[in-house]
Order: sequence, then C-alpha cells, then structure tokens
Amino acid sequence: MSGVQTEQILDVELLHAIASGDEAALARLYDQYRVILFGLLVRILGSREEAEDILQEVFLQVWRRAADFDEKRGKPFTWLVTLTRSRAIDRLRQLGARQRLATSAAQDQPGEASDALKDTVRSEQREIVQRALAELPEDQRRTLQLAYFEGLTQAEIAAKLDSPLGTVKTRMRAGMTKLRTTLGTQLEAIG
Amino acid sequence: MSMTHENYKELMIASALSALDAADARDFQAHLETCAECRAEANQWDATAALLAFEATPIEPSPLVRERILAAIHADNRPSLSSQASQSVQHDQREPSQGRIGSKVIPFERPEKNVRSAVSPYYAIAASVALVALAISLFVIWQQNRSAKNEVAKLSSELSETQQQLAHEREVLALITTPGSRMTELAGTNVAPGAHAMIAYDKNGHAMLMAKGLPAAPAGKAYQLWYIMGSKPMPGRVFATDTNGNGSLQDQVPAEAMNGAVFAITLEPAGGVQSPTGAIYLSSGA
Repeated sequence: MSGVQTEQILDVELLHAIASGDEAALARLYDQYRVILFGLLVRILGSREEAEDILQEVFLQVWRRAADFDEKRGKPFTWLVTLTRSRAIDRLRQLGARQRLATSAAQDQPGEASDALKDTVRSEQREIVQRALAELPEDQRRTLQLAYFEGLTQAEIAAKLDSPLGTVKTRMRAGMTKLRTTLGTQLEAIG
Repeated sequence: MSMTHENYKELMIASALSALDAADARDFQAHLETCAECRAEANQWDATAALLAFEATPIEPSPLVRERILAAIHADNRPSLSSQASQSVQHDQREPSQGRIGSKVIPFERPEKNVRSAVSPYYAIAASVALVALAISLFVIWQQNRSAKNEVAKLSSELSETQQQLAHEREVLALITTPGSRMTELAGTNVAPGAHAMIAYDKNGHAMLMAKGLPAAPAGKAYQLWYIMGSKPMPGRVFATDTNGNGSLQDQVPAEAMNGAVFAITLEPAGGVQSPTGAIYLSSGA
C-alpha cells in the first residue's frame, strides 16, 4: 500500500473521529490540509484576510458536517477541496466584479510557498498535476482556470474571452477529459 | 424543455468546475438526486476538478486561524452559553403563547324575529333581558379584548427580548470570528462552583462576557468584572443576572491588560467600585 493510500485511510478515520466530536482529530486534519487549502483560497480570493476567514468557516463546517462525509462517494481530499472552493466562489460572487479585478492582479504576484509542503509526499502529487495541466493547449487551460480560480460560469467565460458559448463548452470538456486521461490511474492514488 | 439523460452528462464537467449558471445547476442537482449512474460519474469529475487545487501555490496561513478554529469548536463541543440562553428564551416564550387569543369569543346571535312586531305584555321584560344579555356580552368582549391586548403586549415584549438576544449572539459571533480575537474561560470558585463564564475580546480590546449559573445578587449588589495584571486589579463594568443566573456584559479591556491578564468577577455594590471588596465568584486564573 502506498503512503498516499495510507494517508487517505487515515483521513477517513480522522473524519469519523471528527463526526464523533474529537477536537484533536480536527486539529490534525487542519494541520494536514491548511497549506494547500489556504493556497487555493488566496488564489481564488486574492486576499489573505478573506482567505483566512473562509478557511476558518470551512473547518467549522467540517466540524459540524463531518458526519455527512460518505467515503463511497469520494475521497476526503475531494470533499475538503470541493467544500473550500464552493465557499470561496460564493464569497467571490458576493464580493462581485470589483474584487475580481483585485484577484486577477494578485494572481500575477508569486505567493509565499510553504516549506512545510516541500518535504511532504504532496509535492510529488503537485508536480504530476502541474505537468498534466502544462500539457493542455493554452485555450483549454485558460478556460479551466477561469472557471476554477475566478468562479466564472461558462457564459461569463464566453463573454470575457469573446468566444462563442459552444466553443467554451467544448474547450472545457476537452481540457477536463484530457486531464482525467493523463492522470488516469494516478487519480486513484492522488487526493 | 426537459433534458434527457445525455444532456445531464454534458452538464457534469461544467458542474464539477461550478461553471453552470444557477438554473442549470439547480436542474442538475435535482437530477443527481434521482440518478445513481450520473451521481457516480459526477463524483469522478469532482475528483478530477479537486486536483486543480494543486495548481495554486501552497501558502501557510497565520497560526491565529488554527487557534480561532480550535477555540470555536471547543466552545461548540460543550453546551454553549449562548445556545442555552436562547433555549431558555424559547422555552419561556412557549408557555404564555399557548393561550389561544380569541378562542373564547361568544358568537353574537341575531334574534329570529323582529321583536318590535311582537305585541306582548312580556315585551318590556324581554327587552330588558335582551339589554342585560347584550350588556353582559359587551362586557365579556371588552374583557377579552383587554386580555388579548395584554397578551399581545406580553408577546411583543418577549419578541423584542428574543431579538435583543439574537442581536447579542450575532455580536458575540462577529467578535469571536474577527481575526485576532481571543477567548478565555472563567471557572466558578468555591463561592459559586456551578458558575461558568466566557470572555471574548478582539485586538482592539472590545470584549464581551457571558456568564451563567451565578447566584442571584442581593438587593443593592451587582457582579463586577476585573482585569488583574500581576497583583493590580483594574475595574471593569458591572452587570446584573436574570432569574436563571445568566448575565452578559460588553466592556473595553484596558490596554495594559491585553496580554496575560487574569479575568475575575466579584460581587460588589451595584454602582461598582474602584478596587475589589467582595468575594471572587469567577476567575480565569487556575
């Protein structure tokens, strides 16, 4: 069994413990995912302060909703990222267009990389995913990024890129399909 | 236009990226509730989408976030002061509202015949009886109206109390979720072993205290908060408790007490004093 798979089993156990009110288990889960989730939040929201607020909300939600986690439907990593991103996108849509400008600006600045992460097994997974993304044609990658990190809908992406909606849908489907194929069996192990 | 199963497959990828507009997203979620096949497939796409998180540069959050989360879940794990307080409000509110306003109204019955047309020696007597009955009915209605008004007044006052409680809870929540805010527990001393309190304050010293289980303060007395640095107690404000021994207070933590002060609560003359004279009921010191 790989280290990553062991990690997944541990995460599932942590979520069960959290569901039964184990505070230390939540602290462990937080320690494990804070860096990647916070990086994701800063990228989406373009503000450390907003990102810290949402990170806190996410873990309070994990605390209250850990019992809803169903390991048959997905991995803890997917559940956490989906929860985090959906909160962030909600906030982004609340903040509206003004914040989006700031977000785009902030994305040009390199973030503060965490030393903690460099030594972990996750840095290997990052490389795999980043390589897969780099292999996508630029227009597909851009379409995925606009949806994923800027919270734009397909119609909004079409307007922003001045492309027909059908083209955006095609690029999105092609990009995601390619990503899934490239990552293929590795998907089982990652996340 | 209704969508086919194949149409939903088209929406799956966009849904995993939250790129559907609101109407399509709603339709798709409704379909997922009923279609296990699409659900399984959608979970796969969600897993692929989650991997995109790796594209963001990992960043270390402030250690304060961890502290705040753990403080919040710790408060959540024990029966919290505010939820108990709100439960007691709800409970108090339920009882009086069970009185059914208007349920005892007596129907006003119209006489079957026109009494004026009946020529009878008993006419005058019947008319008097009717008048008396009418007067009694009016009196009963007036009384019911008055009690209904009292009931309404009572309910509005309870509503306003509940609203105040809610506003208070929102303030507490806003305070404990402000970046940099801290929470400290105060435990009951030998004088009040059943008492318990929590003080939350932000980096500007704006503080809220919530206490429960305190004995009723005798007439002319009130509880007072103290900030103790070393051996120097600095006076805080005074507060009263309700009949259940719950009380709350907003105060400003003195700048000198922002780091490492012990919080304590004593029983003092109602106006408050400059240095403590009464017994300590609650303290954050071990």
